[in-house]
Amino acid sequence: MVVIMVTMASRSTAQRPNGSTQGKICQFKLVLLGESAVGKSSLVLRFVKGQFHEYQESTIGAAFLTQTVCLDDTTVKFEIWDTAGQERYHSLAPMYYRGAQAAIVVYDITNQDTFVRATTWVKELQRQASPNIVIALAGNKSDLGNKRVVEFDEAQTYADENGLLFMETSAKTAMNVNDIFLAIAKKLPKNEQTGSAGTSGQGRRLVEVEGQKTTTSNCCK
Amino acid sequence: MCPALLEDDERCLGGTTFFARSHPVELCGSNGLPLTPNSITIYGRSQFLKTIEHSNLSTYLDIIRSKHERIVVVAEYSGEPLSNRNNLSLETVKKILYQCLLGLCHINKLGLVHRHLSPDNILITKDENVKLYNYGLYYMTDSGRNVSFPIGYPKYLAPEVFLGNNPNGVKVDSWSLGMIIAECLLKQNIWSGVKLAQCLRKVLSLINSETTIFERIARENNCLKTYEALPEVVKDFIDSCLQIYPSKRKTPEELLQHTLFEEFLKKDLVSKEQKIYNSVTARKMDELYYLWQLAGGDITMELKKQGLIRSRPPILSVPNLVVLLGQIFGRRDMAGLLDLRVVKVPLDTLRQRLCHIPFTANYPRLMNGTHIQAQDNLTRAASQLPLIIRERDTEYQFYRIVLYERLLQGYPITRDAIIREAHKDIPPLVRGRVWAALLNVSGDIERRYQMIDKETPTHTDRQIEVDIPRCHQYSELLSSGAGHQRLQRLLKAWVRDNPNYVYWQGLDSLTAPFLFLNFDNEARAFACISAFIPKYLHKFFLKDNSAVIQEYLGKFSQTIAFHDPQLANHLKSINFVPELFAIPWFLTMFSHVFPLHKILHLWDKLLLGDSSFPLLVGLAILRQLRDSLLTSGFNECILLFSDLPEIDIELCVKDSMAMYYKTPASITYRSHQLDQSKATNWIDPEPGTEKMPRISIKDFMNLLQNSKQNVIVVDLRNNIQFERGAVLGSINIPFTSVQLSHTDIMSLGPHAEPLANNRDSIVVIIGQHDQNNALFTEFLISCRVLRVCSLEGGIYALRSTAPHILVPPR
Ligand SMILES: Nc1nc2c(ncn2[C@@H]2O[C@H](COP(=O)(O)OP(=O)(O)OP(=O)(O)O)[C@@H](O)[C@H]2O)c(=O)[nH]1
Ligand SMILES: [Mg+2]
Repeated sequence: MVVIMVTMASRSTAQRPNGSTQGKICQFKLVLLGESAVGKSSLVLRFVKGQFHEYQESTIGAAFLTQTVCLDDTTVKFEIWDTAGQERYHSLAPMYYRGAQAAIVVYDITNQDTFVRATTWVKELQRQASPNIVIALAGNKSDLGNKRVVEFDEAQTYADENGLLFMETSAKTAMNVNDIFLAIAKKLPKNEQTGSAGTSGQGRRLVEVEGQKTTTSNCCK
Repeated sequence: MCPALLEDDERCLGGTTFFARSHPVELCGSNGLPLTPNSITIYGRSQFLKTIEHSNLSTYLDIIRSKHERIVVVAEYSGEPLSNRNNLSLETVKKILYQCLLGLCHINKLGLVHRHLSPDNILITKDENVKLYNYGLYYMTDSGRNVSFPIGYPKYLAPEVFLGNNPNGVKVDSWSLGMIIAECLLKQNIWSGVKLAQCLRKVLSLINSETTIFERIARENNCLKTYEALPEVVKDFIDSCLQIYPSKRKTPEELLQHTLFEEFLKKDLVSKEQKIYNSVTARKMDELYYLWQLAGGDITMELKKQGLIRSRPPILSVPNLVVLLGQIFGRRDMAGLLDLRVVKVPLDTLRQRLCHIPFTANYPRLMNGTHIQAQDNLTRAASQLPLIIRERDTEYQFYRIVLYERLLQGYPITRDAIIREAHKDIPPLVRGRVWAALLNVSGDIERRYQMIDKETPTHTDRQIEVDIPRCHQYSELLSSGAGHQRLQRLLKAWVRDNPNYVYWQGLDSLTAPFLFLNFDNEARAFACISAFIPKYLHKFFLKDNSAVIQEYLGKFSQTIAFHDPQLANHLKSINFVPELFAIPWFLTMFSHVFPLHKILHLWDKLLLGDSSFPLLVGLAILRQLRDSLLTSGFNECILLFSDLPEIDIELCVKDSMAMYYKTPASITYRSHQLDQSKATNWIDPEPGTEKMPRISIKDFMNLLQNSKQNVIVVDLRNNIQFERGAVLGSINIPFTSVQLSHTDIMSLGPHAEPLANNRDSIVVIIGQHDQNNALFTEFLISCRVLRVCSLEGGIYALRSTAPHILVPPR
């Protein structure tokens, strides 16, 4: 089912009149990281299908989805890896963020521990992921303002210090969900090749696409 | 009359209905998610009622939720309510009273009070057996908190209920019973014609009574004469019930000791024996209700027929006013009401369906094979039908339930017979108990579960807390408060009981099916999960389980290559490794992947296999998606698994079974599995050779002995060595003559043809070097040859263990 919806989505966006064949098509690998139950899967579901499930199942291992967005004359296709949040699954994480060009690190504004966890993810990415990775910090569940414990300013300051994009989001109300993905798309370099040289076999495999020929010459020219 | 049901037709079903209190719209819980609907809370709580068995209590059979927070309650309804009987003799009244107290005592022991006693809720059969009815309403609604109507008949309610101090004590029922019996004895409808509001005043006015309350009531109702004619002992009894102050009133248990019942207490021993006899002869009410439904019975329909449920045009449910904040005014006027009517439904539908089944069908004899045989003959035709149809066939289920009931009574001695029957199918009604039997659960499981600390906070609490509200929440049971609490206790107990292991996300999904089936028997659910994990997921819940998972997924890849080389080649070519999609499959034995109804059918068979069976289930799933997978690249494939398409579970089970029987045990052997009985001669593989399927000498010898026609042996040694002695009928393909890069089977020459045409055989590679054996196995798999494996230890192993089978080929 997803397959159909997603391909339809990408096709319709790709065929928009202004997105003519002249437009660039870029493909980016994006990974979501963060403590369990902060709403990673919910954010992806909102972004890809426009839905919100109260009883969203927990993620084991990881899940993969794609979504395409249009930016001026560029079509950006996100290949999204949604990872499991439980600390124990940590050892799997490198498999997913290896070779990723973008990451969204998510915390829950109603839970301080999840924010601390987010900062350790940021550190790990800065150390171990591709050097040019675009990192966004998402303070999710902003609809629960009355239960807030992580202040907006605190997170904003932290984000500024570390050169991260930052937004407070709500998968439930859809606030800032598309926006954060768009902001990432804007910030991603579209004039160099995707799939940077440093990626290992597995990682590269995840970025390579069936339309490799277009990627090299056309995409990101 | 239906001989199979073995009883008169007094036993009926009773249906009642009421509305749960609905939450104000848009009110959220503290986590920002919607509040659990009260009907779900009631649904979860009420499950316990179904476990109450007592001869003076109507059995609860079902609680059904329907639209707009409506609840329908189904319970046994035998005989006539006390309200329909008048002019009862003193003797009869005593008998009724006595049995009422027995029933009350029983629910008191379980922590319940009736709180809803009235002559309508005391049922009496023709032979004066009494069953209390509706005794769970107060309990299931959490002392009335989940509904917006008051519970209890004002006329029979104890004064403290209105005054609000300790309204939940067991003595509330003593008062009600006193009033009811007083009414019987006075042969008068007390306060007849008095309106509801006045009724309350009447009860409260009793507080200032100068005489005994019984006498005062008699005076008030102009029947002092009848009162005075009553024996003192009876008056005394009523007085001990009708005490204004609860502290002076007796509990049902104390009332039972009243001299009034002396003769009954003596007789009780005799009647108890009789009851034991009865319980053997009659089919239990829950079985009858289950079968009645299969026969087309539907309580909601019956309620509709009688006008208890009326469908209104939706337009009438539209609120009159909605303010911006989401508050709603003027909607659903009927929500506040409890309908006191009970719809009595005879079991006729079922009786007709089973009328031709002989009386003896209730007693399958197990000791000699012939009686099971006889049953086999009766059910053979049906047993060929698809599972889904069998599960809905009244007659077939009748036979199966009768048989399983018998077998389960004899468990654990009957375990083998249970396993044999489970290979055919498991009736849904007995599934929980049958699974426990298949998992070899026995002993004092209650005690064991009780001993485990499930309360002390631990590090994993947060994770468990956030996972439970995401675990199979479409299920009414698991989404109820009771479901959440129980799952939490089970998980905490398991973690506590297994200090070597930790909570991995997924353990919740894994435990859910056991809780679902044993909702009112946590101890059994716990015993089941505790037996299940070592059997199928040994070491999976280690803190560092990476080696275990890696080995399992490695075996999975080999299993794919063994049974479906073409698919394996394709997945390999796009680098689509099981690590990317199969971890949730195996870690949760598919319970995170499928909805409960599918898990139940899958596990019915899984529980009959060993820990390698799930590998074949995984493969069967891949094979259902085979066409899409073969034509897809990496992204499409992975997308396919992120939102798994509909899988035909019966087909999946069938395919896995078929492949399971065609897979020698050593192919799927793992060093981390619990059962190491078959691994005696297994040597750790040389690095680089463990990627290809291998068969043990023992399995190979077995194959040669038992199904030689289904083995193709390929000997990789050079011609000279081969001529000296080889397995009879083997094909000689010297390794040095093979061009590994040229993946075309025909390049090997005409004698390799049987390999290309292989359908049902296992191809065993025998050579001198493990490395070469593995390379050649890989080569054949690339050529899409089915079921290829190399012989563990090669020719040397064969020479040392079975030299006699090496003979000169000519
Ligand atoms: N109120 C509110 N609840 C949310 C929001 N996003 C997610 N949730 C809820 O939070 C819970 C967890 O969401 P998930 O998306 O499963 O969290 P996750 O980060 O993917 O968790 P793991 O898979 O365990 O790592 C679910 O019950 C969601 O319904 C939000 O923006 N607002
Ligand atoms: Mg998730």
